[in-house]
Amino acid sequence: MSVLRRTCPTPVEARHFLIESEVHNVSMRNEVVDSQALSRLLRLATRNDRPAGSKHWSRSLGFGAQWAGDLDWRSALAALAPVSFLTIAGVWIEPIIKGPNLAVLYMLAVVFTALRWGRWAAVLSAISGALLFDYFFVPPYRSFSLSDVWYLITLIGLLSVGLLVSMLTLAAREEAAAARAREVQTAALYSLTKSLAAENDLDQILRVIGQHMFETFQTPIMMWMPGDGGLAIRYCNEEFAPNEVTRVAAEWVFESGQVAGYGTARFSDSRVYCLPLKTWRAVEGVLGVRVDNAKEWLAPQLRPLLETFANQAALAITRAVLAKEAQRIEVIQEADKLQKALLNSISHNLRTPLSSVTGALNSVLEDGTLLDVSTQRELLKTAQEEARRLNQLLQNLLDMTRLEGGILHLKTELHDIQDAVGAALEQLATVAQQRPITISIPPNLPLVRMDFVPIVQVLVNLLDNALKYSPVDAPIEVGAALDANQVQIRVADSGKGIPEQYLQRVFEKFFRGAPAEAPGGAGLGLSICKGLVEAHHGRIWAQRREQGGTEVIFSLPL
Amino acid sequence: MIEKMDNPGPRVLIVDDEVAIRRFLRPSLVAHGYSVYEASSGEEALQIVPASRPDIIILDLCLPGMGGTEVIRCLREWTQTPIIILSVEGEESVKIAALDAGADDYLTKPFGPGELLARIRASLRRVIKPEGEPVFTAGDLTVNLAERVVRLRETEVQLTPTEYSLLKTLVAHANKLLTHRQLVREVWGGAHYEDAPHLLRVNISNLRRKIETEPSRPRYIITEPGVGYRLRTETPSPKVI
Repeated sequence: MSVLRRTCPTPVEARHFLIESEVHNVSMRNEVVDSQALSRLLRLATRNDRPAGSKHWSRSLGFGAQWAGDLDWRSALAALAPVSFLTIAGVWIEPIIKGPNLAVLYMLAVVFTALRWGRWAAVLSAISGALLFDYFFVPPYRSFSLSDVWYLITLIGLLSVGLLVSMLTLAAREEAAAARAREVQTAALYSLTKSLAAENDLDQILRVIGQHMFETFQTPIMMWMPGDGGLAIRYCNEEFAPNEVTRVAAEWVFESGQVAGYGTARFSDSRVYCLPLKTWRAVEGVLGVRVDNAKEWLAPQLRPLLETFANQAALAITRAVLAKEAQRIEVIQEADKLQKALLNSISHNLRTPLSSVTGALNSVLEDGTLLDVSTQRELLKTAQEEARRLNQLLQNLLDMTRLEGGILHLKTELHDIQDAVGAALEQLATVAQQRPITISIPPNLPLVRMDFVPIVQVLVNLLDNALKYSPVDAPIEVGAALDANQVQIRVADSGKGIPEQYLQRVFEKFFRGAPAEAPGGAGLGLSICKGLVEAHHGRIWAQRREQGGTEVIFSLPL
Repeated sequence: MIEKMDNPGPRVLIVDDEVAIRRFLRPSLVAHGYSVYEASSGEEALQIVPASRPDIIILDLCLPGMGGTEVIRCLREWTQTPIIILSVEGEESVKIAALDAGADDYLTKPFGPGELLARIRASLRRVIKPEGEPVFTAGDLTVNLAERVVRLRETEVQLTPTEYSLLKTLVAHANKLLTHRQLVREVWGGAHYEDAPHLLRVNISNLRRKIETEPSRPRYIITEPGVGYRLRTETPSPKVI
């Protein structure tokens, strides 16, 4: 009862209530939504529609729950007070103002009672007022009989005014309550919209919707979304466990775009009311609301609000789905671009050495008799070298695929840089053997946490470039040094050097300098180095040397 | 598919499903005096081995049906015939598994016959080396196992007990590729395997500083990236300026 009184206040109490909810809101430091107030209002609205025959008989007459509190004997006494007071006072003032004029005062008392205590009090007041007036002030005095028919009109007027005023009061109050409910609903929707606007991730959006709806409707919420394996529950308040009927209902809703489940024509066995999350695009999913209290569910105010929530939810979901799709398309386009470049690179860079190999072998096989032994040997050596290049190219392509595909899983352990340099030179033994290479690695260099094989690959690529882009007799330098909390490894050649404007671009995929200065290669070597070094949280860069040539340096954190 | 050649030299069994590989290996091996047997699958190889008694087996790891590692396990149940595996780049874990299962060495495709012949020679030499040979020599390096003395040219090299134990293990399996796990087991007994890879690398590094003239371009202790180490006895040292 006290809750009802609080939620459906008399004017005085209403002010309290407002202040209370303001305080509540301030303390929440949040959106203006007083969700509990809303649900209380919704409940109140529902109760107005309860069928007759309940204990509180007043409700069945449609007076609203707020009047119930006035109907105990105390309120009845209160309602009788003004007329009684007036009657006692009237005995004294009657000689001065005369009987009929006294009727106007009674009317005022009824109006006051109606305003103060509502309709039933007004009726009580009007009837008792009429009777008292008749008994005390209408001749013959001290009797209920009427001597003049005009007094009857006075009594009827007294009753009608009382009832009319009380009805108007009630209407105004209900209007105010409805306005308040609307305001709270609007605030709830505003809060939802605002929260949703900040989210872009689908799961996050579903969580926001679920939480807001749970707060607003005070009942478990769940959402189904289409996935790979058909419709699946994507969000759910924990206490929610749907049964088989509900699942089928949700699927039907998703297919048909119509409501189903509790209280509808279809799947009414389910305790869950299922709405489609429908937008201009498609049915994005299904929203389920568990109906715990059947009677509350009948509230006419509830459905439109629920539908509005569902619409907002559907729009937000569509937005997330579209954003994700756009992102996917972008990735696909990027991959497509890469694939085209890759195909270009493969068709060009693989065919070139392959045609050298084929050409050399064909010459030896077909014109063997015409060629002297040393020429034949020369041709075969060309084939051998080109085949080696082909192999390296394939290795680079594979490395790149691994890097791009995210298949690279580093197994980092503490390793000796010197060992890595040695292993790289060992791999390049056939081409590096006759080249002057100086190595300077301080013996006290600490071990570095790294995955050995990829770092050897980086060194092989850098050394291979240095060997490729510098004259046969030009020295190549390999060095390592400790620099604060990292180790820097440098590979330097004395070749022509990379033009200043390309120093950064050489690490881009498929970037190659002017064709004349690049003796083959897919433009992958350095970009692979970059990928591998960065996977180690290191950095790689190139610079021109003062005495000519290029220096590529990479750092690995200790 | 047994094709015996009228050749008294060591017998080599090639197990590879690629006809092209077998076709290119056969002439070079025959030319160097080996008898060549061929098998195109692991199952076939297991059938042939007891009859043909090869001195060495060249085994492709990527075979249809029974995998290479499985073949090695089956063979190692009854024979210690050296096995050289063939694999492609970037399959370190597969290589390690095969080596731990008992393979002696590996070659990465593509490879030349020269490389293969060198590996075959090294493996065969290991098998036929006389037992109890107390002095090991490779280039300038001499290890006297009886006296526990290591010399580089004529200078004696001071090694810690662990370094010596490591070198001794490498010497005992000279030219054989030893995986990290195998080395750790031999040297540390596998008792504290957690720190062992780290200890192994530190000791290899120190050992190289003591016995290699150019530790960054080692001549004796060769790193097989991601797999292990081997002690190399032949191959001319690369020219370094």
